[in-house]
Amino acid sequence: MSRARIVNDLLRPLRDTTWRFYALVAVLAGIVALGAGTWVYQMSQGLGLAGIRWPVFWAFYVTNFVFWIGISHAGTLISAILRLVNAQWRRPVTRCAEVITVFALMIGALFPLIHLGRPWLFFYLIPYPSERGIWPNFRSPLVWDFFAIMTYLIGSTLFLFLPTIPDFALVRDTSTGWRRRLYGGLAIGWRGTPQQWHCLESAMQIMAIAIVPVAVSVHTIVSFDFSMTPVPMWHSTIFGPYFVTGAIFSGIAALIVAMAMLRRLLRLEEYLHRVHFENLGKLLLLMSLLWTYFIFAERLTVWYGNESSEMVVLRSTQHGEFAPLYWTMIGCNFIVPFTILSIRRLRTISGCVVASVAVLAGMWIERFLIIVPSLAHKYLPYSWGVYRPRPVEILITISTFAGMGLLYALFSKFVPIISIWELKAGESHAGAQG
Amino acid sequence: MSAQHRWGMAVDLDRCTGCGACVTACHAENNIPTVGADQAARGRAMHWIRVERYWEGEFPDVRLKFRPVMCQQCDAAPCEPVCPTYASHHTSEGLNAQVYNRCIGTRYCANACPYNVRFFEFFNAVWEKPLHLQLNPDVSVREVGVMEKCTFCVQRISAAETQARAEQRPTRDGQITPACAQSCPARALVFGDLNDPESEVSRLSRVARGEKLLDELGTRPKVTYLARQSDV
Amino acid sequence: MNGIYALYADAISAEHAVEALHTAGVVDRDIVVMSSEPIDVATLRRERSTGLFWIAAAGGGVGGLVGLWLTTATARAWPLVTGGMPIVAWWPTLIVVFELTMLGGMLATATALIVTAKLLRRGSALNSPEIADARILVGVENPPDDMVGAMERALGAGCRRVIS
Repeated sequence: MSRARIVNDLLRPLRDTTWRFYALVAVLAGIVALGAGTWVYQMSQGLGLAGIRWPVFWAFYVTNFVFWIGISHAGTLISAILRLVNAQWRRPVTRCAEVITVFALMIGALFPLIHLGRPWLFFYLIPYPSERGIWPNFRSPLVWDFFAIMTYLIGSTLFLFLPTIPDFALVRDTSTGWRRRLYGGLAIGWRGTPQQWHCLESAMQIMAIAIVPVAVSVHTIVSFDFSMTPVPMWHSTIFGPYFVTGAIFSGIAALIVAMAMLRRLLRLEEYLHRVHFENLGKLLLLMSLLWTYFIFAERLTVWYGNESSEMVVLRSTQHGEFAPLYWTMIGCNFIVPFTILSIRRLRTISGCVVASVAVLAGMWIERFLIIVPSLAHKYLPYSWGVYRPRPVEILITISTFAGMGLLYALFSKFVPIISIWELKAGESHAGAQG
Repeated sequence: MSAQHRWGMAVDLDRCTGCGACVTACHAENNIPTVGADQAARGRAMHWIRVERYWEGEFPDVRLKFRPVMCQQCDAAPCEPVCPTYASHHTSEGLNAQVYNRCIGTRYCANACPYNVRFFEFFNAVWEKPLHLQLNPDVSVREVGVMEKCTFCVQRISAAETQARAEQRPTRDGQITPACAQSCPARALVFGDLNDPESEVSRLSRVARGEKLLDELGTRPKVTYLARQSDV
Repeated sequence: MNGIYALYADAISAEHAVEALHTAGVVDRDIVVMSSEPIDVATLRRERSTGLFWIAAAGGGVGGLVGLWLTTATARAWPLVTGGMPIVAWWPTLIVVFELTMLGGMLATATALIVTAKLLRRGSALNSPEIADARILVGVENPPDDMVGAMERALGAGCRRVIS
């Protein structure tokens, strides 16, 4: 494929805007505004508007927090690990994935604010010298969350921004007027000398090596929010690897869905081929099996151990009031993806998308089922309680999905969503080998 | 001066009749709002001390058991290390302190507490006039979004200690009574200094039928429950 | 600034042009090569270890020390007992140290990239929109007048002058 064609195709979204784009942005922005208004209302009235209660003090908001931080593991796995093993098929996929990470992290990091009782005092968590004797408690997993998410957010933003610099330079060099100035600023003086390319590639190598342990640590630390407490079925050593697996699982599903939408909406059929979806689909199948393995190992251990408080929670998920959600989750996370992704004829782009949507729904339910049944049935039966979500929680949840869509749409309008220089370099690489 | 105190309580389950006077007294002493029937049905009631009621057996051989549960002021409290702002921490006198001003309402402590004795202000409390006249000036009124729980009536403890310091004498056993112990008609609740081997609470904590609630979790609670004679 | 440059379709011809400029007496430092993708020819790459790894490691070390100070020294300065745990608890300390080490490393890498790649520099430079078309630009900025002829011969038929 000619270089000129690549550049034109991938810069087209930046140059041409149809009414459909404006309509999409308007709808999504409207939903986001509704969610923001709901949050402001909740802040003014108090968290009593939500469904949380004694003893289920964490529910939808923390579910969303864990879910979105989990989604953010898409970018790292695909980008960093595939860069490190030099897998050529990653080239059109890396930036889509890295963008998901950054935006999912930003949305996920909003939820600790949304669920605070006094969100206007969130800065008490930041270690800055003050006269009030306020200082964070480093023994608290929430403080570890603060450091982990901050590190991962800064790291992934750099990981996204650095390899985009040459593409910003490309847009700068092929446009005029305000675009030239804007992208010129973003390109921070990139010229494309061999020295610069060498520095960039060394830097990306180091960033890729660094970001993988950070990503693993982030969701492990999020899992520590639960496993560091003596709550039945939370206090389990399996939580670290279990959560990381679940994160990568839901992240790949989100990536497949995002790529399929981009392929359709931006007409990128020439660049995102069935093989890309198939490869990601195989990874999704692998993660589905791994996730099922962890669920099995954890629940078998609980069932065999027969400890009374844990058995109550286990039964409530498998036979009791949470059973419909639980079995839906098993269907969505194991049965559907396993069926679709292991049969080659079903492993088409649409098949992968169906499997991924099922996984996303299943993983959201999984986060919910980790949090709520355990809190609803702690040690003293007199204090058990039933949680029901209320409109504010549902509205805010929906608006964050709209927010993700909005951020993604805006990003793909201003930045080439497929890394042009990497794709061209891949063509040269293939040309040299062939 | 006086040796370091270690405040604890003993609850005699044989004496408890489940009347709930302790609950009411606690509400009155600590400015705990009553949330109303709707909110209570939605699980928002804030009873710093609650009387748990369990049924045993089938009709007509039903037995009723009452157990007043308040903050156990655990020595290895799981609610303390998880608070990101040190709003929940351990004092030198063995109390689990809840500092309202530091609390940003993550509710992590409530999840970590195995006894479910921590409560959250879901809305700003409202006392319709003239009920606001009943508020205790020694205790703060908590803002929305803050966690609260039983403090062993720390305002009474502080007042007694200040008095004792002024009079240059140690506090006497029986001088400090939290509101719940004060109001219990059966004298089922006893409060005192566990570091004083002669105090009544120390004596009761060593009784054979005494046990700790959820002892196996390793929280080291400082409330001793004296089991009913018929259960022993 | 003024300059002289030519565009080449592939790395091999660009490499010949560079060698020709060397023969014409231009030193490496004055030769500008620009491309829209990383080119894989030895002479053009002018390989020199960037030392980025060591810079990243140093940044990580600084981050780790900051994390250590933050968790140990500040905790000792405001000692509050929680849950029967020690004032400085090593497990949480290790977590915060790890995160700040990685953050230090990544920030150091990004900063070092900007510095060593000489980004964020102002001033106009040689450029051509055809670079986007996978052409490689080889040129010299501000050539001394007496060498212009030799450079034109070295760069070959397609060379252009830029005077602004």
